[in-house]
Amino acid sequence: MAAIGLAACGSSSDSSSGKEGGTLTGTFAGFPDYLDPALSYTQEGWTSMYNTYIPLLTYKHADGAEGSQVIPGLAKEMPKISDGEKTYTLFLRPGLKYSDGTPVKASDFTYAVERLFKSNSGGSPFYTGIVGAEKFAETKQGGIPGIETNDKTGEIVIHLTKPRGTFTNELGLMFVAPVPPGTPSSDQSTTPIPGTGPYMITTASRSKGWSYARNPYWEKDNSKAMPDLPSGHMDKIDIKIIRNASTQVNETEQGKFDWMQTQPPPDRYPELKAKFEGTQFRVENTISTYYFWMNVNKPPFDDLKVREAVNYAVDPKALERIYVGSLVGTQQILPPGMPGYEKFELFPHDLAKAKALIKEANPADMNVTVWGDNEAENEAAVVYYNDVLGQLGFKTKLKIINADNYFTLIGNQSTPELDTGWTDWFQDYPHPNDFFQPLLSGESIQPTNNTNLSEIDDPKLNQKIAELGEVPLDPEVEAEYAELDKKYMEQAPWAPYGNRTVSTFVSSAVDLDKVIFNLTFGQDLTSFQFK
Amino acid sequence: MQPESHGPWYLAFRRLRRNRLALVSLAVFGLIVVFVLAAPLWADHVAHTGPNATHTTETITVDGEQRDVVSVEGKPIGPVWFGAGGKFFLGADGGLGRDEMVRLMYGGRTSLFIGLTSALITTLLATVLGLLAGYFGGRTDTVISRLLDVIWSFPVVLLGIALGVALAVGGLKIGPLELAGNSIWIPILIIAIVYTPYMARPIRGEVLALREKEFVEAAISQGAGALRVMFGELLPNLWSTVIVFFTLNIANNMLLEAALSFLGAGVQPPNSSWGKMVSTGVEVIYTSPLLAFAPGVLILLTVLSINIFGDGLRDALDPKSKVRLEARAGAPEPEGTAV
Repeated sequence: MAAIGLAACGSSSDSSSGKEGGTLTGTFAGFPDYLDPALSYTQEGWTSMYNTYIPLLTYKHADGAEGSQVIPGLAKEMPKISDGEKTYTLFLRPGLKYSDGTPVKASDFTYAVERLFKSNSGGSPFYTGIVGAEKFAETKQGGIPGIETNDKTGEIVIHLTKPRGTFTNELGLMFVAPVPPGTPSSDQSTTPIPGTGPYMITTASRSKGWSYARNPYWEKDNSKAMPDLPSGHMDKIDIKIIRNASTQVNETEQGKFDWMQTQPPPDRYPELKAKFEGTQFRVENTISTYYFWMNVNKPPFDDLKVREAVNYAVDPKALERIYVGSLVGTQQILPPGMPGYEKFELFPHDLAKAKALIKEANPADMNVTVWGDNEAENEAAVVYYNDVLGQLGFKTKLKIINADNYFTLIGNQSTPELDTGWTDWFQDYPHPNDFFQPLLSGESIQPTNNTNLSEIDDPKLNQKIAELGEVPLDPEVEAEYAELDKKYMEQAPWAPYGNRTVSTFVSSAVDLDKVIFNLTFGQDLTSFQFK
Repeated sequence: MQPESHGPWYLAFRRLRRNRLALVSLAVFGLIVVFVLAAPLWADHVAHTGPNATHTTETITVDGEQRDVVSVEGKPIGPVWFGAGGKFFLGADGGLGRDEMVRLMYGGRTSLFIGLTSALITTLLATVLGLLAGYFGGRTDTVISRLLDVIWSFPVVLLGIALGVALAVGGLKIGPLELAGNSIWIPILIIAIVYTPYMARPIRGEVLALREKEFVEAAISQGAGALRVMFGELLPNLWSTVIVFFTLNIANNMLLEAALSFLGAGVQPPNSSWGKMVSTGVEVIYTSPLLAFAPGVLILLTVLSINIFGDGLRDALDPKSKVRLEARAGAPEPEGTAV
């Protein structure tokens, strides 16, 4: 696997100095999509639950490339892979308990996978390769024969229909973190599910925020069973929902809050960077792509020329200004730092060419609905996009949706007029398949929690994604992913425009050097420590 | 010589003419209306851009010097007054580089349009409901009054936000009436409906009192039907109340529109209204305070001028009301005066 070209931000966690205990008060701009491990598919949700719901495997609590390393979580060790890379065998560590005292059993993993399919989670396509999973996803009954468990020995055997090179990474996602049997399949965001990590969610309100306390069974049982995982420094963590990012900045600066997860508003960003960089403020690289999706099955975007025109018309340089320096322009699917990334620009900004292509295509339907969320820069980006489409002659209808509900709404295919709109994607794990499989494979088109928003379903490219997903990464495979990137962009289902940097801003009481920013999960709550 | 006799409208006009503060307020409001009506002229002939056109990567010449509309760091150009021939007079509106002056003028049209139209709908609904409830009484009154109570029981802004957010996604479809989620008619209808009880209840009360008067009994005894009595006899006696409420409603509705748009449940992007502009301006208030300040001041001036004029109109149409209000404010109430 190629090294990820990201600078490791901050130093490694050193708990030898600094204060233990206390309450960390953080702010988010809104409630995550879900606070339910089976359902959440946003960075906000994953940041919130990284230390609450631990899967069989997990990701190292470290900055940069090191944080992309998969390590054993609830499992004793990394899986034993056999049968031509189609069988994964793991053993549950003994003595584990959920935060309500219920012992963790091997069969809870089966329950978690079944719950994932029953709830039509956006993460379910990662696990349809398990024998019987596809049928279960349709019928929601009869169990998944491809998972065999033994509660006495803790053995978990997973049979895949074909090899899957990314399966180890996928076992580290919290979609399949074991949950107590009997947990309802419906969204449990506001009735927290007992977890296995050092922090348990105690209360959650979609309007006010949520709180964590130490899991009483962590110190007693789980931490002894999982000594490699950090226990955290804080006794309590309170997350408040503060819609106004400027208020978050002011109150973090004044020490009323200890950390703001939200990005500072555009006009505060340069000031914070100048004043606090290195002491309270840090820029973090991410492996992400921001893009406008176009539904290739609906006119006018069912015409390749129209989609190409949109790509020529969108100017990444304009969007760099809209994002006030926290975005670097791009025109491709894979972001820098992701194995397989090779820079190319198929559609250098050329509005005149875009207009000519539209004239050539002469679409019969010029009415389009444009979707976006209401977070400051994203809203501005989609307003810009709306104007660009207007310049191309489209009659647009702009729909700005509250960020809390945005992904749920646009991921629901029964939502009318899903023509085009804004979205972003952060890596789930450092494998290019993570961009192609969920976002562009036909398999990922789902009635709810859909992540293939352009609904592109090209059998040849689907086949290529599947083939590449079966083999381990090596330079040759990476080159094929780079080729796949170009092949998709030749079909222009998206107009990608940038790769994002984010920031960590903490109060003067928090030791910034110790705060870990994991490329997949964002800020690691166990790394926060008061000076 | 017989004293000159004048009708009540003429007398009201004379009283209004003597109220200088009300007239100044009317003039201020008139100027604001002219300002917003001139939006297309300014946009086409001075700024040469529309309210929603973005200019992120463009440059303009200000006093001979080439400047970015939005800097590479994302900072919008500030007010250049006439330095670029009127373009970007008040600067650009953030990273999108839209002309702030043009948006302010068009935003004012939206705010005033919503304020006036929703006030008209409120007045229409409230007058009809108040007349029906007050005149018929009994079950009709019970049904209408309870319906108004239900709307009244919700805080205005909360109800407005709930309806605004819900309708912003799917729009509104009632029979043949179909409105898109981003239609300007959504906030208009929401505001009109949430304020209807505040006007319908006093009108109902006044109709209840008027219904017992001799002229109503006389009309009924002459065979006048319900509609004739309501709209031919009662309504003319309600005009002063209706007109005063209408003007005050405009101001209230504009404020509610501003609040809803500020909270994201009113006018939807890319359209501008003063409330929406304050909301987006607040996000950059540290570096570009004018973006929130300018629409804020215009909201203040408009609402203040309408309110002062509305008060003047009330005093002119119903001089006794001033006495009653002063009595309520603490002046000793004359014995036997109805309050």
